Amino acid sequence: MEYIVNLNKFQGPFDLLFHLIEEHEIEIYDIPISKITEQYILYLDKMADYSMDVTSEFILMASTLIEIKSRMLLPSFSKDEEDDPRQDLVNRLIEYKIFKNVSEEFKNREEEELKFLPKPKEEVEYDFKFNEQILFEEINVYDLLNSISSLLKRRKLEIGREPPKFNIRYDEYSVTNCIKIIKDILKEKPKVSLLDIFNIDFNKAFIIAIFLSILEMSRDNKIKIIQDNLFEDIYLIST
Amino acid sequence: MNNTEIKSAVESMLFIWGDPLDLKDMMNILQISKDKIEDALNSLILDYEKEDRGIILKKFGDSYQLKTKDKNYKYISSLYKPSTHRGLSDAAMETLSIIAYKQPITKIEVEQIRGIKSSYIINALKDRNLIEVVDKMDKPGNPLLYGTTKDFLSYFGLKSLEELPKLPYDEDLRSLEKEEKEDKKNETE
Repeated sequence: MEYIVNLNKFQGPFDLLFHLIEEHEIEIYDIPISKITEQYILYLDKMADYSMDVTSEFILMASTLIEIKSRMLLPSFSKDEEDDPRQDLVNRLIEYKIFKNVSEEFKNREEEELKFLPKPKEEVEYDFKFNEQILFEEINVYDLLNSISSLLKRRKLEIGREPPKFNIRYDEYSVTNCIKIIKDILKEKPKVSLLDIFNIDFNKAFIIAIFLSILEMSRDNKIKIIQDNLFEDIYLIST
Repeated sequence: MNNTEIKSAVESMLFIWGDPLDLKDMMNILQISKDKIEDALNSLILDYEKEDRGIILKKFGDSYQLKTKDKNYKYISSLYKPSTHRGLSDAAMETLSIIAYKQPITKIEVEQIRGIKSSYIINALKDRNLIEVVDKMDKPGNPLLYGTTKDFLSYFGLKSLEELPKLPYDEDLRSLEKEEKEDKKNETE
């Protein structure tokens, strides 16, 4: 006899366990762990046969069941009833069952409540119209022109005049003339500190140009760059 | 403003608003005490009931909303198909009921009870505005704590969280059953 079970309906491992417990009319407080483990794993196999995703949660439950089974086989050193290895699982199962039942109650309430229909709010557009009136009442194109020119005046800009001017400075220092500067210095002194060179004209453009020149001269083997220790002055030596 | 005038004003507001309208908003607009507005709302509720009208006024928490009567649902649904009225899935319902009873609760705690990952469902419930983040837990990682919203009450027609159906079993019942079981054991021994 072959039958197809709707495996999809299980919301998780607890749901599946409950299904098995009910199907086999098992007393929840005295679960025959060996039987239920066997049934559970049979189900997982079936799920795999139908190429369904057996998620890690289902596998975790299988291993929990096997662990409980093996612990029950071991002789217990404690006489305490509370030490039933199944207790934790039973507690969790019952807690799950409580919410499973209550969620069915919620479903009934939902069904009842969905029969009361509210009026959809989206239909109301009064808010938009209200604002529209205030914004566009008795406004003509000259009002627009006035308001844009007062805005521009405030920002010290004007329409229809010459475009604004910008001064673009010509690079005072080029790599070529900086190489010349360095060469001249090195002619007088064989060893010169980088800081001394920067101090000739301590500004951003000059420092960048000098830096690029040094890299270029170093690449061409015209100078050697040395530094004795970390963070100390860097010296250039002509080769 | 006398009671009749207040009733008339709140009825108009509730009609045009459609969504649940907060008592606080009505107070701000009408500049009248909470008690007076509640009196008016309550008598409005009774009016609809007394005359068995096609509209009823529902209260959820501190919000009020006008809705059509459930017994007329069949006529309305042949008039038009309310598209947004899709029920929640079993998984969503299960998750939502855990959050409703255990709030404030973290995602991990929900997952422990359900025995399965629930991130997707929690986000879906959040998108439907049935649950919201109510707080952060003062623990490493500051996990978010979830609780139900005003829309949750409205969705299930609850006046407040106290109206949640009683849990079919509770802690006491559980230990009681255990005692019974032990009694039985003792008897057989």
